[in-house]
Amino acid sequence: MKRVFAGLLAVAFGVVLLLGISASTGLFSYNEELLDDSAASHYIAKDVNGDTGEIIFGETMDAETGSANMVTSVIANYRSFDTLGEVTVLFLAALGVSLLAGSMDKGRKRRKSGFILKVSSGILFPLMLVTGIYIFTHGHLTPGGGFPGGSMIASSFLLLYLADENFRANVRGFKIAEGIAGTLYVVLGIIGLLAGGYFLINFLPTGVVGNLFSGGIIPIVYVIIGLKVGSEITGIITDMFNEEVKA
Amino acid sequence: MIKFASLLLIVIGLYGILSTRNVIKILVGINVMEIGINIFIIAIGFVNGGAAPILSVDNPGSLLKFVDPVAQALVLTSIVIGLGVTALGLVFARKIHKKHGTYDLSEIGGES
Amino acid sequence: MMFNPVLLIAIPLGLAFIAVIFKKIQKWILALGIIVNAVLVFFVEKGETAIGGFKIPFGISLVLDDFSAAGVILINILALAAIVIAFKKAEKFAPVILAGLAGMNGMILTGDLFNLFVFMEITAISAYILSSEGRKPAQSFNYLVIGSVGSVFYLLGLILLYNQTGTLNMVLMTEKTGFLEQTVLLLPVLLIFVGIAVEAKLLPMAGWVRGVLGNSNSYTGVMFASVYSSAALFVFGRIFSQVLVPGTTVGIVIITIALVTFAAGQASAFRSKSLRQVLLYSSIAQSGLAAALFATGFVFPAVLVVVNNAIGKLIMFSAAGSLEEKYGTDDYIGLGGAFNKNTLTGIAFTIAALSLTGLPLLFGFYAKLNVLAAYLNQGTFFVPAVVLLGTIVEGAYFIKILIKLWAPGKEGEWADADQSVGDKRIFSYTGTIAVILAAVLVVLSGLLPDTAGKLIAPEGGLLGDDGPAISLLIQKGGDQ
Repeated sequence: MKRVFAGLLAVAFGVVLLLGISASTGLFSYNEELLDDSAASHYIAKDVNGDTGEIIFGETMDAETGSANMVTSVIANYRSFDTLGEVTVLFLAALGVSLLAGSMDKGRKRRKSGFILKVSSGILFPLMLVTGIYIFTHGHLTPGGGFPGGSMIASSFLLLYLADENFRANVRGFKIAEGIAGTLYVVLGIIGLLAGGYFLINFLPTGVVGNLFSGGIIPIVYVIIGLKVGSEITGIITDMFNEEVKA
Repeated sequence: MIKFASLLLIVIGLYGILSTRNVIKILVGINVMEIGINIFIIAIGFVNGGAAPILSVDNPGSLLKFVDPVAQALVLTSIVIGLGVTALGLVFARKIHKKHGTYDLSEIGGES
Repeated sequence: MMFNPVLLIAIPLGLAFIAVIFKKIQKWILALGIIVNAVLVFFVEKGETAIGGFKIPFGISLVLDDFSAAGVILINILALAAIVIAFKKAEKFAPVILAGLAGMNGMILTGDLFNLFVFMEITAISAYILSSEGRKPAQSFNYLVIGSVGSVFYLLGLILLYNQTGTLNMVLMTEKTGFLEQTVLLLPVLLIFVGIAVEAKLLPMAGWVRGVLGNSNSYTGVMFASVYSSAALFVFGRIFSQVLVPGTTVGIVIITIALVTFAAGQASAFRSKSLRQVLLYSSIAQSGLAAALFATGFVFPAVLVVVNNAIGKLIMFSAAGSLEEKYGTDDYIGLGGAFNKNTLTGIAFTIAALSLTGLPLLFGFYAKLNVLAAYLNQGTFFVPAVVLLGTIVEGAYFIKILIKLWAPGKEGEWADADQSVGDKRIFSYTGTIAVILAAVLVVLSGLLPDTAGKLIAPEGGLLGDDGPAISLLIQKGGDQ
């Protein structure tokens, strides 16, 4: 009975969505081009604060954000404030996990790791760590960035957990690392406020689009995010492992 | 088509949340719903014939046609928020199990 | 010296991160952050502040007009009062509370709809964590599920609007949605309404309130009923009276839902036996009233209702939580005579309850009068009738409670008198002072309503008099 009711409600909601969306955007068609003077078109042309001409990869100097990856320029510069909020969400979630899981009994688990996993983790762990770091340091040039990079670092620690049943990362250390990274992000914003008059302003020269050292504060922000996300997710994993119940 | 599929995922997720009282399944339902909305946002940001919004050797100039970078940035934010909520939800689920010995809310009875 | 409003968000956020590093002194960091914010909120620059130095409709901006100024002042002062009342219960959650405060300030200040979503999530997650204090994980889980579904709805509505307008900025969104047809706007506006209704405690999404607030203590009760709900209502007001002003169809739907919430809340409160349940249903009812006013466009009366409810619930929930901790029961019949032993708290509680009902010479009277006047000026008689009827019910249950709490029960028994021998206070000294101050504020503002009104709306008139505050910014922007 409950399922029938749930099904009816879900279907009704679906019909409302279908009708509403086909009235506005259309269900089977996609945009032909971005709207004129929309935020997105300005972000692509990097001309929010004034026209600077076409941005050419590898040539343009000191463009507005200087990041070749436009998604990165949105995340770490144009809408950096959102990203600060986003890392705070993750921070709160990790904090909540440790507060709540911490109040439960610590149990011992009985799980044997496979031999192959044990041996290969020694090779895989450093590779994953380095790949993660590569991804967030190149976030302004290639796909990826702080969040995928950080998750990759966290997954390398997850591998260690799976490979070695006695492995325990130092939760406190990760908490301190994420606290420092978060503080640095806010401090970076306040430096911008003092130096340029705006919170989180890109106060460094942005260099040539496409170079590793370009984008002003974008790579710095992404390194901070990478470290923060890495330590937060590792913290969540550790708390959840610690909290596993007795079999 | 992708838009239609993503809406279907949202509806399936909603059905999953409404039809069960098992906390883990409810969390799965929420995640299906979130994946649906994320795909929908990406589909909204798609531009016919647009390239991935990264300047590179292949797409060197900003006058070329790109898909909407804002939508992709929003999705990243929404994914991370979903991850945080899911982690917290799982811990609540564990606490429920610890307190009541079950993951099924209907077996808990009238806890108020 | 005026400061950049972004500091209201950046300072508590930075201190939240620092509090994690220095866990030993986190309670002092909490106190520092809350106090600094409560002072700073009076010294922030009005106007629109860009973040990151990008031109305003394209970058994220903070909007500090009279409306959001009233909001942040209320929130920061209430947050300060909440930790003064029950500092011991708050210290454990220092980083959560600081981040939550940053989230609420962000919610009220932001001029960007997606940024609003992010801050709403921060606030919601901090609320989920605080709700775990109730030791009912199933209720916290329920809250989390409803909140997540609401945020998916909000995001869906927002992205549909983004697709139509190409902007996320509130000012530009107001301008551009003005050109769209109502049929296109219908779905997104309703989806956004559902998303915000979760935190604003409106009916279809208020399922979490009973479980969470019914198990609150003297700190979390104040946070949920007073601080979080005021922030949510201010956001509701911003969106539905200024940014996405609902057209006729949507407007009727939203106002109907809000009034049903009001009526259902009052009726449920009347039927409840437990003190906190009466209060939480009364909160739902007040939220419904404020939402109905906002959706009709009566911003000033709505703000008065929010302020009155926030101060009243601050006093009442802290008293109810403390009584529960002290006597181990929440049933107001079982608490009979409890106020005779806690006279000052009792007086404060009485003032709050009477003000909430709208007794003359108290702030609530001024609020209710403004509500009725706004509707009657407009020529609507149905809504004032509903409000008056609700007020009568409200008066009935509050007076019932007050009589029980002041007078001993029929057999003359006192509320578990043995348990409280030698310790008559239910609050710490600072807590009592804070509660008394709040009550004095209610009385004073009731005696001098015009001054109080001017404090809330400095121009002296209704906030909505010259059109919605945010549309004034459009005109300013157009001059450049």
